[in-house]
Amino acid sequence: MIDYIGEHTLVGTIGQAFISIAFVAALMSAFSFYKASKSDTLRKNWTPLARGSFYVHGLSVLGIIVCMFIMIYNHYFEYQYVWQHSSLSLPTHYMVSCFWEGQEGSFLLWIFWNLILGVILMRRAKNWEAPVLTVVASIQAFLSSMIIGGYLFGVKIGTSPFILVRNLEENIGLPWTKMANYLEIVPQFADGRGLNPLLQNYWMVIHPPVLFLGFSLTMIPFCYAIAALWKKNFSEWVQEALPWTYAAIMVLGTGILMGGAWAYESLSFGGFWAWDPVENSSLVPWIILVAAAHLMLVYRARKTALRSTFILTILSFILVIYSSYLTRSGILGDTSVHAFAGGLDYQLLIYLISFVIFSICILIFRFKSIPHVKKEEDSSSREFWMFIGSMVLFISAFQITWFTSLPVINKVLGTQMAPPIDAIDLYNSWQAPIAVIIIILIGITQYLSYGKSDMKKIFKQISSSLISSLALSFVIAFTVRMWDPVYLTLLWATIFAALSNFFYWRKILKGNWNLSGSSIAHIGFALVIMGALLSNANKNVISNNEGFIAKDFPSNENILLEKGDTTAMGTYFVLYKSDTLIGINKTYEVEYFNLKEDGQFEYQFTLNPFIQLNEIMGNVAEPSTKHFLLYDVYSHLTYADVDEHDENDPYHQESLINIKQGDSVIYSKHFLYLDSLLVNANTNLESEKALDVMLIAKLKMQNMIGEYSSTETIYAVKNNVAQSFPGYLEDGPLKYKFIFSEVNPEAGSIQIKAYEHIDNEKPFIVMKAIIFPYINLLWIGVILMAIGTFIAMLHLFKQTKK
Amino acid sequence: MKKTEIILILLVAVIIGVIVSLTYNASTYITFTDAEKQMGREFTVIGELNKDKEILFEPRLNVLTFYASDSLQNERKVYFYDSKPQDFERSEKITMTGFATDSGFTASTILMKCPSKYNEQQFIEQDTITLPKL
Repeated sequence: MIDYIGEHTLVGTIGQAFISIAFVAALMSAFSFYKASKSDTLRKNWTPLARGSFYVHGLSVLGIIVCMFIMIYNHYFEYQYVWQHSSLSLPTHYMVSCFWEGQEGSFLLWIFWNLILGVILMRRAKNWEAPVLTVVASIQAFLSSMIIGGYLFGVKIGTSPFILVRNLEENIGLPWTKMANYLEIVPQFADGRGLNPLLQNYWMVIHPPVLFLGFSLTMIPFCYAIAALWKKNFSEWVQEALPWTYAAIMVLGTGILMGGAWAYESLSFGGFWAWDPVENSSLVPWIILVAAAHLMLVYRARKTALRSTFILTILSFILVIYSSYLTRSGILGDTSVHAFAGGLDYQLLIYLISFVIFSICILIFRFKSIPHVKKEEDSSSREFWMFIGSMVLFISAFQITWFTSLPVINKVLGTQMAPPIDAIDLYNSWQAPIAVIIIILIGITQYLSYGKSDMKKIFKQISSSLISSLALSFVIAFTVRMWDPVYLTLLWATIFAALSNFFYWRKILKGNWNLSGSSIAHIGFALVIMGALLSNANKNVISNNEGFIAKDFPSNENILLEKGDTTAMGTYFVLYKSDTLIGINKTYEVEYFNLKEDGQFEYQFTLNPFIQLNEIMGNVAEPSTKHFLLYDVYSHLTYADVDEHDENDPYHQESLINIKQGDSVIYSKHFLYLDSLLVNANTNLESEKALDVMLIAKLKMQNMIGEYSSTETIYAVKNNVAQSFPGYLEDGPLKYKFIFSEVNPEAGSIQIKAYEHIDNEKPFIVMKAIIFPYINLLWIGVILMAIGTFIAMLHLFKQTKK
Repeated sequence: MKKTEIILILLVAVIIGVIVSLTYNASTYITFTDAEKQMGREFTVIGELNKDKEILFEPRLNVLTFYASDSLQNERKVYFYDSKPQDFERSEKITMTGFATDSGFTASTILMKCPSKYNEQQFIEQDTITLPKL
């Protein structure tokens, strides 16, 4: 046993113990709740133990979290998790983010939210408590096992956040792990690798917890559905699960679009949505959940579509697990820019498959006994079109999942399909027509009645929305010059849906706020799509240049700005004014001007795109955006020379030149000649060996108009020590430095290192700038959607209480 | 026929459409030599960066040139007309979409697999540890 110096193993031991307790207590709780669900007498006997072990599980989870915070806050870099995700210079508020940057921490976040929801369900679910909590506690046991980090029959189970660096598999046996004072002598342990600078952003403090709360909330309708199938109590669960389903829709939807906001604000993707597999896999459960929620409403009103309700409700949670498999297993590696590293793929895959098989089995066994209405719905009924809408949502989700799963399909079928060349275009071409159908349904279906509707009356009610939306969409299409037929139809549909939902609330619901949820949420959804459509279809890259022959090179979308020069860009004139280093951010000040009619420049605004310099993670360009009411001007740097120059030596950009006497080479728009090479040797006459040697290289440079300038650089060897003396040369304003660095006797040539003065070339940056019109519609839509769903959720909770 | 059946048939039809659409639209991973048989057509090539040869980024032209070899070890010069991605030199596998020309492969997008990116395994490599003499 080695007594390691400076390690803080106590907190890790306690944390690891908490993990084990949390896992065992979750299993215990699942088992006891299972027993309790058997009969009323068993319920009385087993419930205290079940609840008790769930609380023990909960306290242990809190214990794990506290231990992790102690580790991170005190910079215990001997722990892998802390070293990997934190650093001494990390501000305290970002320590919260490094808590969930890693796999282990994000599982813990998920477990934490499930725990909170589990406790709420224990208090609220009454008769449903035992069966529902059986499922919740089992899920908790599954998730806890992902962070155990132990071995069972030689198979690794999970990865623990409390593992020491020296105990990592790849380090075991290395010499330094056997040194008691390794923390002092291995320089890497002085500081952690730090939080990925991309995640050092306020959105990253709030986006993951909201997203994970959304994931956790999808668990509740799933648990109710499973409990209902299991206990053959097919009818009541819908009313219980409905408000939770709406809560999940609200939180998950907000979480997803917060991720979009983060991407837009601080990534240089140039947009808020890129159909990236990681984004897609969180969107799909949301879409399915929305479909499930609408079917629940249909069932509540008409007692039909119960089978589809079960299927979609269960599917949405399975898609959450599938999403975590896709993003965490590393299978997306080739197709996604932000997939996590792998390591847990088999364990996750086993969980995923067991959830799928379990759900399919329970559905098959109970399918026949699920109440089913034989009678057909009337095609003018609300439930018929809500059902159609849900099916269209299902298709939308299926298309996204299928295309995102390409790497999985390749693995299963052994094929070698590559992602489509223009994936974004392909997604849009599927999803835009689907969105048209969905949004038209959103506009009309509210007016329909359950059972049978009077179509003439409805047509009268929606005619004003129809006419005004047609007129409005043409006005907008004219202003933004958007004539693509699909886009135009989509634009009209979104305007129509927003208007008709507004009038439905004003006229039919008489402006009742309690019932306003669905109208507000639908208006919000229409605005999200409208904003996404207008800002993306009409996004205008204003930093275009015409320097390239091929039209669609990405390089064509950049502009080169020399320091101090004002350059035309789109309708603006831009000036790269200065750059300063603020902390680790090299920030560039770019001023925007308008050209007035009298030829004067009028200052508009300044944008400060910056490059985050991070030695460990690499430099990251972050955008800067000016928000206006009707459009955004977005910009980020695609190139900037961020190297700090040595103040004592203003020469940089080393070039190596091999040259023979009498030869010429082209260097920096000049001809460079080696005019002559003089040798001064002090030779020992007896041994004929050169003692001291001095070589003088005379260099001559010719510029484009034929003018010459010259210098000499010396290479001297004295007492077997070589030394070089640089030569300086000026051609007008251009300054160069040459150093005679080597002699190659075999080739008969010498090597010269040539440097340019930093003033030879003006500093420059390369920038990309895009105008996103009407993008604020999107953000307003997101907020309305969240508010609307929240109102609907409150209303549903009130109904459940009654 | 009942309405439910019609809806089901339509649903299945669209789902088959989605499945077929992917196989139809999916690109194929091929080698440089195959790409050269149809110059100008876009393909996806997975290659490995040759770290011994010059990786040159010309910021004024916004062109990155490098050498990569495909799965059959054919090496080509690659022109990527965009700014140099972060940590490019450290990448191992590069997925490139683009087309072949006489002078090399012109990539319009590249996606790199980096050992550093989010990687949990690569921890402290032994050779990077410089232990002071005791």
